[in-house]
Amino acid sequence: MSNYYDIDDILTEEEFVPVVYQKAINGVKIDESTEKGYVEQGSKTELPFWLARELHMRQAVSISVPACFNQKTRLEIQADAACVDLRSRCQYFYEFGCKLAPLCDKTIGLLLSYAFRIRYKEVLHKAHSTAFAAASKFLTLLTKEETYLYEAAQSSMAAFKKWRTGGPRLQRASILGRKRKPAE
Amino acid sequence: MYARKGYELVKDLASGEKGQLQPFNEDLFNQVVDQCTQHYLELQALIRKMQEESVDVRETRNADHYGALIHHLSLIRNKRCLMAYVHNRAEIIQNFAWKVGLELLELPEEIQEKLSSSEKNYFGKHSAALQSYMAEVGIDLNVDMVPPKDPYIKVRVLDDMGEGILLSDKTANLARHSMHFLKRTDAEQYIARGLMEELTG
Repeated sequence: MSNYYDIDDILTEEEFVPVVYQKAINGVKIDESTEKGYVEQGSKTELPFWLARELHMRQAVSISVPACFNQKTRLEIQADAACVDLRSRCQYFYEFGCKLAPLCDKTIGLLLSYAFRIRYKEVLHKAHSTAFAAASKFLTLLTKEETYLYEAAQSSMAAFKKWRTGGPRLQRASILGRKRKPAE
Repeated sequence: MYARKGYELVKDLASGEKGQLQPFNEDLFNQVVDQCTQHYLELQALIRKMQEESVDVRETRNADHYGALIHHLSLIRNKRCLMAYVHNRAEIIQNFAWKVGLELLELPEEIQEKLSSSEKNYFGKHSAALQSYMAEVGIDLNVDMVPPKDPYIKVRVLDDMGEGILLSDKTANLARHSMHFLKRTDAEQYIARGLMEELTG
């Protein structure tokens, strides 16, 4: 069970999944485009994951695979996982996939580990070898998790260099945010 | 869409840089609370409807039951978003006490503006608890966060700090750009606030 207060976990569960209602539901307006205050059995819509999971557990909806894990994405990942733009598909590709896999499609797990193995190598490689200007294009392809990894790789390298060369060890608290130019 | 406001609130928190404070979003926060009230009213209406039709509220799984369920889940979701928002901010605020200074007035003004009044209260109480604990054990816990090599360090003053500032072993005239040889524990808090920088030679 992930942390109740975890921001990334909350945002992951806001990702949408396509569902089909197995039960009629009264007193709700799921779709803002319609005026009717109920849902008919068999109708289709997209729900955020946190809602879809609970309704799925009570057999009120059936979940199908969302677009970011469809056949097209799978083929692209098989072709060259490192170049696939996962961020535009889903910021929380891995976390979302892990939550989704037991509910609708177990093969997502294999897809995730395959994609991560290849992309992880690429992320670490780029973190140490690419100049910042050139990296920005590559960074737009990464999911949240991969961005954290990239930053961790860079900051550990920076810390190592600092340790080797020495320098001031006390610094302005990073918590205060970036330093602003003093108004002269 | 259901519990959407809570999501917006968390998104607002996440849009800032990690570990740094945004202004307290009072407006959106209240909107989430309003949405909770709305969900609660609709939940109650559905339960009342079931009772009027004299069906067993506990056992029946009809359309009204699922409607009530969705409102219930939305309430819980919004609650989680609200709690996460307050909790994550509280953690940052605690860090201020450890890393910057124990008095609210010691914090830079732009930081003070970002706190809501109850957060200021929280900061004050957290600092007071910390201070009373440190007095009890007799150690300043919020200094020497980086293991010291030397009890004295050389610093340069970056901002006008006024004259006759009282340090633990002397009174110093800390004019801008002047350099000093200070006790490390004295200098530490000023460096953390960005008023001095450490010089290495």
